[in-house]
Amino acid sequence: MGRLWLSALGADRPGIVAAVSGVLADLGCNLEDSTMTNLQGHFAVLLVVSAPDGVTAGALEDALDPVAGLFELVVAVRPLDDAPPPGEPVGPRDEPWTIAVHGADRTGIVRTVTSALADAGGNVVDLSTHLVGEEGAPVYVMTLRVTLPAGTAGDTAAGRIREAAASLDVHCSVHRDEVDLL
Amino acid sequence: MSVRAVLTLPHPVLMATAAPVGDIDADALALAGDLVDTMRASPACVGLAAPQIGVARRAFVVDVTGHAKAVSCHGTFVLFDPVVVSAHDPAAAREGCMSVPDLTGEVARATRLTVTGLGIDGDRRTLSVDAFEARAVLHEIDHLDGLVFLDRVAGPHAVFARKTYR
Repeated sequence: MGRLWLSALGADRPGIVAAVSGVLADLGCNLEDSTMTNLQGHFAVLLVVSAPDGVTAGALEDALDPVAGLFELVVAVRPLDDAPPPGEPVGPRDEPWTIAVHGADRTGIVRTVTSALADAGGNVVDLSTHLVGEEGAPVYVMTLRVTLPAGTAGDTAAGRIREAAASLDVHCSVHRDEVDLL
Repeated sequence: MSVRAVLTLPHPVLMATAAPVGDIDADALALAGDLVDTMRASPACVGLAAPQIGVARRAFVVDVTGHAKAVSCHGTFVLFDPVVVSAHDPAAAREGCMSVPDLTGEVARATRLTVTGLGIDGDRRTLSVDAFEARAVLHEIDHLDGLVFLDRVAGPHAVFARKTYR
């Protein structure tokens, strides 16, 4: 049993997920982690699958050819042999945080905030952006789940991320994820 | 009293901490009237905070009358300089905001709440609210601290577009 990653992108049409997952099922592949979303009319699929012995990246890509042709999808499959075990890439000394950024749209919001995050030893776990607002007054909204170093180093990192966002005149909330164990 | 325009992101008033109202004078009463009129002008609106109509003062109106999720219901009430006395039993639910018209978000908020502030008669009012009315009150108080629901969501997958495409 090996693990593969698969990406597919094309103009959104009904049936894409059913067709792709159907090919996977026919080959005995198990869909593990996935993100599938509509990006302004284009459907993006990003999957990690476990595949039976003999189902290589090339074999899966070939098997997906008819679906790719039918739906006009750009499909890529690659082996994931050196991947870490399933789960979020959270180091034992890191802590989960959530960041929300919103403000007038301008170039560099993602780069500035994520650069400050990386410089502070943080790591992006999940990131989502929305471009909303009126014509002529676009608003950019970005939400991230990240990890930051534990303890006061995390607070220092959070402060640097807020400062970086403030330099772009966008609002930024950074807070530790508080989990209540019941 | 009049219906005022509701500001939307990224207006700076929505991101600023509002100043205390203090004495309930003619200006404060005019603000209360505008909040009520503006809230009622939008049928789905159950609350409005002063910064949303461009006034950086600590005041809001809430009215959850007839809402399916409401348990406690104090009708239409305006509170000036509100303070949360106690908050218990958080629960997550999807909420929207007239100042963030294109998105909704999943936010955890207390479902039992005691809040105190000054009413339009200048007397102190202390209210026990719960369920949807508690959510509305906390949402409006957040506006007085320069926060919108986006600042409270649990992560990227807790934000939802209201329309599919631009």
